[in-house]
Amino acid sequence: MSEHKEEGEDQESLQGISRWKRVPAYIWVTLAIILLTVLLHIIGMSDDLVNVALVYLFPILISAVYWGMGPAIYAATLSVVMFDFFFVPPYLSFTVEDLRYFISFAVYLAVAIMTASLAGRLRQQLDRVKSREATTNALYDLSRQITAITDLDNLLDNMTSQISLMLGSPAAIYLPDQQGELKLGVKQKSVSEFGTDKSAWGSRSSELAIADWVYKQGQIAGKGTPKLGESTGLYVPLRTENHIHGVLAVHMTTNEPEKQQEQRQLLEACGSLAAGAIARVKLAEEARLAQVTAESERIRTALLDSVSHELRTPLTAIIGSATGLMENDTLFTPEDRRELTGNIRDGALRMNRLVTNLLGMVRLESGMLQLNRKWCDVGDMISVVLAKVREFSPHREVTVQLPEDPVFFDGDEVLLEQVLVNIVSNAIKYSSNESMVVIRVENDASQSCVTFIVDDKGVGIEEPERTRVFDKFYRSPSTQHITGTGLGLAICKGIVEVHGGTIQAEGNPDGGTRIRIELPVGEDERPFSYTALGEGGD
Amino acid sequence: MNAGLGARILVIDDEPQIRKLLKVTLQAHQYDHYECADGEEGIIQASMVHPDLIVLDLGLPGMSGMDVLHRIREWSQVPIIVLTAKDQEVDKIAALDGGADDYVTKPFGMGELVARIRVALRHVAKTTDEPILRFGSLVIDLALRQVELDGEQVKLTPTEYEMLKVLASNAGKIITQRQLLQQVWGAHHHESDSHYLRVYVGHLRKKLKEDPTRPSYIQTEPGIGYRFLLPAE
Repeated sequence: MSEHKEEGEDQESLQGISRWKRVPAYIWVTLAIILLTVLLHIIGMSDDLVNVALVYLFPILISAVYWGMGPAIYAATLSVVMFDFFFVPPYLSFTVEDLRYFISFAVYLAVAIMTASLAGRLRQQLDRVKSREATTNALYDLSRQITAITDLDNLLDNMTSQISLMLGSPAAIYLPDQQGELKLGVKQKSVSEFGTDKSAWGSRSSELAIADWVYKQGQIAGKGTPKLGESTGLYVPLRTENHIHGVLAVHMTTNEPEKQQEQRQLLEACGSLAAGAIARVKLAEEARLAQVTAESERIRTALLDSVSHELRTPLTAIIGSATGLMENDTLFTPEDRRELTGNIRDGALRMNRLVTNLLGMVRLESGMLQLNRKWCDVGDMISVVLAKVREFSPHREVTVQLPEDPVFFDGDEVLLEQVLVNIVSNAIKYSSNESMVVIRVENDASQSCVTFIVDDKGVGIEEPERTRVFDKFYRSPSTQHITGTGLGLAICKGIVEVHGGTIQAEGNPDGGTRIRIELPVGEDERPFSYTALGEGGD
Repeated sequence: MNAGLGARILVIDDEPQIRKLLKVTLQAHQYDHYECADGEEGIIQASMVHPDLIVLDLGLPGMSGMDVLHRIREWSQVPIIVLTAKDQEVDKIAALDGGADDYVTKPFGMGELVARIRVALRHVAKTTDEPILRFGSLVIDLALRQVELDGEQVKLTPTEYEMLKVLASNAGKIITQRQLLQQVWGAHHHESDSHYLRVYVGHLRKKLKEDPTRPSYIQTEPGIGYRFLLPAE
């Protein structure tokens, strides 16, 4: 950026020459012509009028090239006067005869005017090329910087600071809010204006009103334009093909029409760049939202499918069994009745599990899950888990392998029991009735974590599905014939992660599935020692 | 186990279906059954009927079950079993510490509720302090402060003995962590001391030769407390 700043200064100084050096230029011309006259006299060329007349062209040419039209004409006039006064006889006087030297004057004048205008035009062209190059560089730089930014706030911030730096004056961007009301998005003060009254520029209601007008009309307005030319700022709509995204405003410090024009062009270019960038960021955001919507749509469909199936099946069993019992009282043997009532109980228990899981999911998703952290005794926890598992599958054998010493850790025992119940009942559900389920607890003191491993010898989970099974409502295609909602493991994952632990599915080396849960022990594993309390004696 | 047969039971629940279910079941078990649908009526009934036990739903509309519990406890020590919805350990603890004798979580099996009713009625019926408690092969002699398991004496530290005594003399009933701490350690304890309980219970279970994964004496009620199991009836 510093390059552009330097170039800007060069430009400034080039234009400055013609202005502030103009007065001294006349003195220089006068001195040069006097010196030349004296020199011509000394070397005695007074007789050779033709050469003298030609030599006088030098100061005219030089002043035309370097100082422009005014000094050149002045040089031409002074030269003809000098020539006539000192070299045309009668010397040191003007006579009527001398009028013929008006021809020399005309030639001088023509040379002065033509040279000066040619040089001036060249210089203007050079200026224009240089300033255009600076603008192009600045715009290129801006566009390069903003293409990399994907977040809107960051983008606006970057853009205003770049524009403000480029023009050396405060810049602001106004954007519409949710309701379509224009609001000040970001404002950048130029460094020199901190603390001055200009620093309030941009946030006052008058500026907002102009910005609003520009936003609604889609027309440029402000200083240097036909609309609202008396205001101090220039307001450019940020327009893409068919939409206005906001308004870019710059506090104009210059009063020169040329410079205003130039800044206006630069600002318009910046404005279209900014509009493009904002449109791009907005589109990306919209695309992301669309993706999220599609995903939540998928989940909703899965939820409906799964829940309606999972609710209807046990309901069918319950309603069927109950109505059967009521209507055909005499038909059934006592065994039949027991079977039907058992059917009702099983269906209700299954619905209860589903409702528990759904509520658990809702609590996790809504962030309402509060951990009731306490020191948990792992052995105690597992005994509760086994008692619950026995309720619905009393005949399955579950082996437990605990470390020698009791293991304690910091966690919410009720939630973690739910996790283990889900995992163990999955292990039972997806394996044959004769096979064994093993719960193993490992306590790695060096890593300060407790590991729960649940092994089964069931169908197993294919490698590519091992992370997906923890997704909400995901059910492996290979187990579609077994009923389930696809919620259990998702809840487990949620609960374990709230505890700062990890859960993963692996292959059981003996065939089947292995679920590994690692939970941090928490600080201060043993707050006190049993023997230190005088309870050691046995 | 005929303790409390014919006892008067008052059901306070706003759900007609639950009331009907309880009515049928309680009458089948030959209890004297009374019912009402809201808390205020429940309090009046409790003072008129003089029930031997109250089954109280915590989720009553209007006057909450907790308020009813507190109001009744102001003048009566009648056993109260509360019915609660799931996943609210805090509510259960509050009810138990607020004077409820036991809780049953909805949805519940009738067998579970009837067993709780029996235990609660029996504790009231038991007027004389029996000096010896027997649970299968476990014998606790409260007079001699001795514990025997399978005919062999079990050496317990004073704290372990106190814990076992509190749990066993309330056999079948739930004891919250706070109640246990209070009765064993007295007033000098903190809520955070529940870790002590776990460690002591762990040691006690070991000394009673319990299978940690299938305890037959001291059962953990997750998040709430402990229950000394009655031998299978």
